[in-house]
Amino acid sequence: MIQVRGLSKEFAGRDGTDTGIVALDSLDFEVRDNEFLTVIGPSGCGKTTLLRIVAGLIPYDRGEVSINGTPVTGPGPDRAVVFQNFALMPWADVLTNVAFGLEIRDMPKAECEATAMRLVKLVGLEGFERRLPKELSGGMQQRVGLARALAVNPRILLMDEPFGSLDEQTRRLLQEQLLRIWERERKTVIFITHSMEEAVLLGDRVMLMTPRPGRVKEIINVPLKRPRGHDTEKSATFVEIKEYLWQNLRSMQVA
Amino acid sequence: MAKAGVEVGKMRPISVPGALWRPLRGTWMEALALVGGVALWEMLGWLLAMPWLPPFSKVMEALVQFVQSGVILANVVVSLQGLAIGFSISLVVGLLVGALMGRYRRVEQALHIYVHALFISPSMIFAPIFFAIFGLSDAVRIAVIVVYSLFVIIINTTTAIRTVDPALVEMACSFGANERQIFVRILLPASLPLVFAGIRLGMGRAVRGMINGEMFIAMVGLGALAQRYGSQFEASKAFAIAMVVLIIALVCNWIVQTVENSLTQWVD
Repeated sequence: MIQVRGLSKEFAGRDGTDTGIVALDSLDFEVRDNEFLTVIGPSGCGKTTLLRIVAGLIPYDRGEVSINGTPVTGPGPDRAVVFQNFALMPWADVLTNVAFGLEIRDMPKAECEATAMRLVKLVGLEGFERRLPKELSGGMQQRVGLARALAVNPRILLMDEPFGSLDEQTRRLLQEQLLRIWERERKTVIFITHSMEEAVLLGDRVMLMTPRPGRVKEIINVPLKRPRGHDTEKSATFVEIKEYLWQNLRSMQVA
Repeated sequence: MAKAGVEVGKMRPISVPGALWRPLRGTWMEALALVGGVALWEMLGWLLAMPWLPPFSKVMEALVQFVQSGVILANVVVSLQGLAIGFSISLVVGLLVGALMGRYRRVEQALHIYVHALFISPSMIFAPIFFAIFGLSDAVRIAVIVVYSLFVIIINTTTAIRTVDPALVEMACSFGANERQIFVRILLPASLPLVFAGIRLGMGRAVRGMINGEMFIAMVGLGALAQRYGSQFEASKAFAIAMVVLIIALVCNWIVQTVENSLTQWVD
């Protein structure tokens, strides 16, 4: 279980003075084991900052973030991140990119390759193992990113607007693929998004955040049954929750 | 959304100025330009009949004589020995210092002023000092080659490391990579294209340093020959030496380029 208590984060002002930007202000929430939590909010609400704190990539000022009671002080083998801009190594082929986390953890070479190969197949990139990232479409690149994160078999998957830069069709395909994978091997997921459809479709709960300073406005339960697919979007509950999110987001929008 | 690979690829355009430094690839336009240039040279040489512009054929004659007498080979060996040692020192020190400056703010802050001052100032200014330190030895011309080529390698390597996509470093951190792993697996490969741009520039400057050192201080190798024939107004011989130096420069550049191409095929 991920527990976040009174979490605050402030970024120093541009000139290093004390007029910093409060990115997160006393966040309180928890994510249960194997739960899929989606986080949505207007841009600048600190969603990504929150994710990076849970990932252990940046420090926080006040409060506590803990996983199964252990405070987060840095990255750990229990977590893996899927990045918005994929963050693939452009000089390395698909297999090497997928095996990255395993090699960092000093897994023997042969075992690395076997595991990476299994993940490449899982995300449907068989036959592309030796391709370079630049030879792949955006959707395929993010499947590499997903495979790389899953390869280290983390308990917790942290996804930072992973499909945000993809076109609509590709995004839908990847959402379905993610749902299938997640339903097969359950993990705890925190999924940042700016798409209301995506938030409702994927999440067991949707955490709605307010803009600067980022606070938890509300956590909304999504009682849609699983397995979900794009037919789910036709259900009344789906439409209702999406509509509710939109009402809230619209009232926050400054632009 | 910009992708990491494309970002790195875009950083390529620092290149060596002057078409002559490019390895001569077999495009017909280049061949035509070369033939045309030689023909023009030959023609002007005969037409003007100036002592400072011998026709191309006379220069070639002198070159053939040099080669046959063994003068060229002996001096090329001397020059290249200095170049190899001097450039190797620049390469090792340059990459090391550049990498440290690129990765660690403090190191960069401490060394920035020295590196840039030495990069900007004319390298020959230090020649008398080296002479005073090392006396009449090969160390002087090697030191000259080092000051010519070292700083551009440092500066490019620093920039190369500094401009590595931070998303990649963050990605590595998220998988628990330690400092060594970040360096070897991310910073090193990601910075290669820009690092090589620096190595290429450094190589060009090293050849310049080699000749200047030999012409004005050490009085050995090709530089000494050029100096001697230049002051004796033996233009065709001076030109012949210049041709040899040109060929050495091209070959050196071609070697660097070949290594670079084989290591950075992933760049668009």
